[in-house]
Amino acid sequence: MNLSALWESIQGSSLGVYIAESTWAFPTIETIHVIAIVTVIGSIAIMDMRLLGITSRDNAVTAVSRDTLPLTWIAFAFAVMTGSLLFVSKATSYMANPWFLSKMVLIACAGINMMILHSTGWKSVRSWDTNTPVPRNVKISAALSLAFWFTVIFCGRVIGFTLGIYE
Amino acid sequence: MPSITDLLYAFTEWLRTTSLVELSLWISNLPISLWIGTHFFVIPIMQTLHIFAIAAAFSSVLMINLRILGLTGTHRTMNQIVRRYMPWIWWALVVLVISGIGMIVGEPIRELINPIFWIKMVLVIGVILFSIWFQTKANRHSPSWDVRGGAIGMRAGAVFVIILWCAVMAGGRWIAYAPV
Repeated sequence: MNLSALWESIQGSSLGVYIAESTWAFPTIETIHVIAIVTVIGSIAIMDMRLLGITSRDNAVTAVSRDTLPLTWIAFAFAVMTGSLLFVSKATSYMANPWFLSKMVLIACAGINMMILHSTGWKSVRSWDTNTPVPRNVKISAALSLAFWFTVIFCGRVIGFTLGIYE
Repeated sequence: MPSITDLLYAFTEWLRTTSLVELSLWISNLPISLWIGTHFFVIPIMQTLHIFAIAAAFSSVLMINLRILGLTGTHRTMNQIVRRYMPWIWWALVVLVISGIGMIVGEPIRELINPIFWIKMVLVIGVILFSIWFQTKANRHSPSWDVRGGAIGMRAGAVFVIILWCAVMAGGRWIAYAPV
């Protein structure tokens, strides 16, 4: 089975057809998607700004992480679930849209950036948890994270204006 | 009994009888509106700023209200949490208003002759007024429940604030789907 046939079969599934044809399903799922994604980005930004030394400097890095991370992951799970449902309804249009593909690549970049941070700089967090300056590589990772998520939002918005024009 | 769609249609019909129509047409002929209309990326950039500001405001609202619920940030006092997050809510609101005005200037008819837009505006004013009242009350009582969380009334208020913000965001998204 080639990939375009796969996207077509996903779109033609009863779930895909239902979401595409219902007047309320797509906007409702999209609304939950927006609420989830602003929670993901807002909570990540709180952490990134602590790492950059902009905010919460009187609070330990690990404490900020404990306060925000559960929120980030719960909201991320909602964003992925709702995003998948939106995708199912117009799979071929999304896969033909360069802004959608860019958004997926940027989310992957944000994920890889986080994994690199956790496997390198974060290992020494105990030594810069409170008053000592955050290492430069950790700061770079935090700045990249903000940049990736900002462009994820931008691509997400452009999808809304360009879906269907690349087919 | 009329459905919600019928009511929204009736609301739109009424909006069309008001001077908002002339106002929208006047705005749409302004050089800046024409400029936005001919530059594809301006609207998505303003929307991105709007969403980023919502992210800052809503995550700050969550951090304060989840603290009242005793779900996060319990190692810090209520006062510390409010001092950390409250200014971000107000500054984010400034960005939201500016980017929101930008979007109205770019697409005045889509926004001003839209029932959901006005429902959203009422919700925005509601969330601001309730937050001011609730925050003043919370600040006054906070020292007594610094260790765990707020009393039952405070907790209900915290849940209500979060729901109101979600309703505002829902309004924002449904502007695009209003039956006009």
